[in-house]
Amino acid sequence: MQKNTIISIIISTTIIGGALYFVSEKPIVSDGDDVTQSQNVEVRDGVQYVTVTAQGGYSPRLSVIQSNLPTKLIVKTNKTYDCSASLVVRSARFKKILQPTGEEVIDLDTPKSGEIIQGVCGMGMYSFQIKAS
Amino acid sequence: MKTITFHVTGTHCNSCKILIEDILNEQIGIERANVNLKQEMVSFETTLDDSQHKLAEILTEKVLRNGYSFSVGKKTKEKKDSEVIWQALPIGLIFLAMFFILQKSDILNFGIGGTVTPITSFVIGLIASVSSCLAVVGGLVLSLSATVSQDDISDTKPMFLFHGGRLIAFALFGGVLGAIGGAIGVSFTFGAILGLIASLVMIVLGLNLVGVFERNAITLPSGVFNFFRKLEHKTIAPFIVGVGTFFLPCGFTQSMQIAALSSGSFVSGMFIMFTFALGTLPMLALLSFGSASFAHSKYAPLFFKSAGVVVIGLGVFVLLAGLAGLGIISPLFNV
Repeated sequence: MQKNTIISIIISTTIIGGALYFVSEKPIVSDGDDVTQSQNVEVRDGVQYVTVTAQGGYSPRLSVIQSNLPTKLIVKTNKTYDCSASLVVRSARFKKILQPTGEEVIDLDTPKSGEIIQGVCGMGMYSFQIKAS
Repeated sequence: MKTITFHVTGTHCNSCKILIEDILNEQIGIERANVNLKQEMVSFETTLDDSQHKLAEILTEKVLRNGYSFSVGKKTKEKKDSEVIWQALPIGLIFLAMFFILQKSDILNFGIGGTVTPITSFVIGLIASVSSCLAVVGGLVLSLSATVSQDDISDTKPMFLFHGGRLIAFALFGGVLGAIGGAIGVSFTFGAILGLIASLVMIVLGLNLVGVFERNAITLPSGVFNFFRKLEHKTIAPFIVGVGTFFLPCGFTQSMQIAALSSGSFVSGMFIMFTFALGTLPMLALLSFGSASFAHSKYAPLFFKSAGVVVIGLGVFVLLAGLAGLGIISPLFNV
């Protein structure tokens, strides 16, 4: 019995440890290497557009944008029926269930340097961050 | 009239006291049954002339199907119980791990194109029932069914009522969404709070299934369990819980609600939501009726404890995710 208990504890801790390793949020970025802005960001007519795709989660998980520019977030959905369609961006006071396929433009105002904008799905399982540098 | 005292085994919660007392008091010739949970003793007054051993045998027959038994002398408590939990823990965790690996893999992320028809919403329902939505609705179904089965293994009526309530609510609310459009505006905060309540129910029932309350390590006021008993056995309660699942936070459900909203008519909205619920039914029915059939088998103790581990895990996940969704804590997971 003693032996079974020990085996059980070992198996259990391995599973829990493994699960935490895969599922938990990894620190996405260190401060040093985020000087360049991300690929999904473009500036048109003095307005900065950052595009995030919502389908089975958000990608990219982290976008780096320039600070002190009027910024709009474009969330693209493509046949999205899962949780990522119900989007909450708290700092922009945005709460909406997105159309399955389409684009949603969200005004982010003018982010200051170091500001982090966080988007999360209604159930809180998926999230993304936009960081102003 | 003489007073008789028996040892009782199988009492796992405060509600057992009420159940055993009710059953005993129903018997002819038995009065004032009283169960002492701490000492695992039952005493009652009787006019019957049978010997104590004979009485213990007869009365055990009445309560055996609920998992209790009476004896004149104290039975040596089986050590089995504490071993079962050590088997149940890894089994439960393996199921949890498989569930999260399934979410991590992109299997469930294929898009379904075009406008939502009853057929596509049925398929979306099928997918939703194995997705992270399962963490809320599935966890709730598993915890409630396992608890019902643990109390009374032959009682499947609450399960039919639950699934019936769910199907009817989805059809009806879907129709209303289609007809009025936005009348029952699906509030994020309301849904999230319901989700948190569901997660707490799951954690409490999970702990109960695992048997934490059994050893009197933690005792909840018996009012709490009376409340759950009512929830499980009163005719209307499982039905209402089924109806309530319409409002539980689940991305798929919300998307379907939007689809029903924009469908423009009562009938089309009703069909979209109804077929969606129908799509989730096979998996949910498997969970609830699977619980019932496991409860009949000799693996029942192992099943209840494993189910408890799974339910606690899902409950904690839903709780943390729900708090993150409300912006109270920062997101911990990205499943």
